[in-house]
Amino acid sequence: MQIHELVGAVHEAAWLPWAVQYFFLIALSATALLMALPGLALGRVAALPRARLALMVAVTTGITAPIALLADLHQPGRFWEFFLYTNSSSWMAWGAWFVPSYVGLTVAFAWAVHRPGLYALGQEDWRFNWLFRWLSLGGASNGFARPLGIAAGAAALLVLIYTGAEVYVVRARPLWNTPFLPLQFAATGFVGALGLMLVLERVLCREPALEARLNRALAAALGVVAVLGAAWFALALSGLSPRHSEALASVAGFPVWQKIALWGAVSVAVPFVLALVSPSRTGWVTGLIAIHAAWMFRWTVFMGGQAVPKVGSGLYDALLPAGLDGLMGVIGTFGLWLFLLIAYTTFIPWTEASAPADGAAPARPATSH
Amino acid sequence: MDTNRRGFLGAMGRVTIGAAASMAGAGQSAQAATDQPHIPHWGMVVDLRKCIGCQACTVACIMENDVPEDSFRTHVSVYEVLKEGGDPAMVMLPRLCNHCDDPPCVPVCPVEATFKLETGEVVVDNTKCVGCAYCVQACPYDARFINHETQTADKCTFCFHRTSAGLLPACVETCVGGARNFGDLNDPESEVSRMLRENEVSVLRPEMHTNPNVYYIGLDAVLDGRVAGEAAYRPPLTVEPEPHGLAAEPQPHGEDA
Ligand code: SF4
Ligand code: SF4
Ligand code: SF4
Repeated sequence: MQIHELVGAVHEAAWLPWAVQYFFLIALSATALLMALPGLALGRVAALPRARLALMVAVTTGITAPIALLADLHQPGRFWEFFLYTNSSSWMAWGAWFVPSYVGLTVAFAWAVHRPGLYALGQEDWRFNWLFRWLSLGGASNGFARPLGIAAGAAALLVLIYTGAEVYVVRARPLWNTPFLPLQFAATGFVGALGLMLVLERVLCREPALEARLNRALAAALGVVAVLGAAWFALALSGLSPRHSEALASVAGFPVWQKIALWGAVSVAVPFVLALVSPSRTGWVTGLIAIHAAWMFRWTVFMGGQAVPKVGSGLYDALLPAGLDGLMGVIGTFGLWLFLLIAYTTFIPWTEASAPADGAAPARPATSH
Repeated sequence: MDTNRRGFLGAMGRVTIGAAASMAGAGQSAQAATDQPHIPHWGMVVDLRKCIGCQACTVACIMENDVPEDSFRTHVSVYEVLKEGGDPAMVMLPRLCNHCDDPPCVPVCPVEATFKLETGEVVVDNTKCVGCAYCVQACPYDARFINHETQTADKCTFCFHRTSAGLLPACVETCVGGARNFGDLNDPESEVSRMLRENEVSVLRPEMHTNPNVYYIGLDAVLDGRVAGEAAYRPPLTVEPEPHGLAAEPQPHGEDA
């Protein structure tokens, strides 16, 4: 039997590269926040250097992400309706509550963690001390940092659950509708966040011991991604899971998809080997490849998934960005993130951040001004 | 008013007796004796044996509903099907929203901007829609799109504005071959109900359990899902070498951009 489609409609991607940016940034933020908690909320001193970088990633990507999300709405001015008409059967509606809670709690947690440092800067005799007095709200106590951190961690888990579920429930797209997808989003989120922490470590810290620790953590996360990927393929090929088989069948015949699969496997395997073999010298390379892998995974899932027709034949265009318009979302959000990163490293005494002292007692004795 | 265009013209005499007896309410006459107000459940039966692939419905829908360029609320897919030992056959497949009874597009909408009417149509309130396109993703039939003039979700409405005025949907009204039949599935006397009783019918993607209200007579099972064939449109990334060593001949491009 041979079928030739002679007339068919072509469907453009309805979720734009902005959506890829959103899912990328929010996953990095949520996973980074979780990695900041041992050092900065639970008081594990050995984890502090890593936690400081993790919090930096969580705050900067966490603020950028919802802006990318807003830009993906075709009616961004109506965003307030999310809060007015929450449809409880829609994961997106729940997300509209989870995301602001998460970002708010994360920013509040970061502020609380840095409050003593901000306060100290406000006490010094220099030109901008007024700014830091204002930023510290005139005090140094931060006993509330720990509960804030734990609440932010819970919100981060909700964000990971909802972002995974929102995409997973779409039965109409076989590539999205696999039970592994939420786990793969989370695991590649850790990969991307650790990649970004490695790059920031190279730029801001240059401590081989920290680099090695981050690389080992990255290797572990990449290992999880590889196991999930292998299990995905095994389930699909064996026919044990019809959903996985359908997902594979929807793209398997196309050479471009075979190349994507190979590309994905290489961008997991290379940093994995490098991070294990030479953990204290490869941070730049493993970090950049890891960021790329986490981003590429989402581009492939979202844009590639939308390139698969639901009833027609062949593939649609979505895999390649449609000109500068599509890329503006990517460039714009990275620009905003860079701006936030510069602001964070400039105005926040992030190298001094540590877990609050136990109880409600201030971490540093508050001095009156 | 359940009929196709030819039947509709034949019934004109009956229908125009009184403007007060709206065509949309024609089914009510059968129920006049009972106290319960009759609520129609609109559906469509497409007789593929009669479709000639002229795309008159595609054009009529665009004109009637101001559908922007490059988008379609309905179109007719055309396939050349070659079965073992047979001659190639041209097969037409009009596609539109199925106004599913279990529509996956509705529960995902975060702001309840899309919903199912009592009479069966699945519609979008475009003054409320935030344009998140979640419903576009969730529809298993690619029946929805983002209208870039309104920046909201758009789809076939079963021509609600026309049926409320007692008219047939534009695509049915204009169907040259009389392939598209529209009517009240709740009325056992209606033409569409009779067609469902007397013919073997199928729906698109039954495995999705959406319970469509668009039925097809004469639909080949190889076309009822994602059609595994050579596409009319091949984006640069997916061009493959011809499997049989034949030179790739340019495919006639229909309405694809
Ligand atoms: S065909 Fe698609 S848009 Fe129409 S009701 Fe069904 S799921 Fe919704
Ligand atoms: S695009 Fe509009 S109708 Fe569709 S899910 Fe989003 S808000 Fe609802
Ligand atoms: S019923 Fe109306 S809106 Fe739907 S396809 Fe026909 S003409 Fe278009």
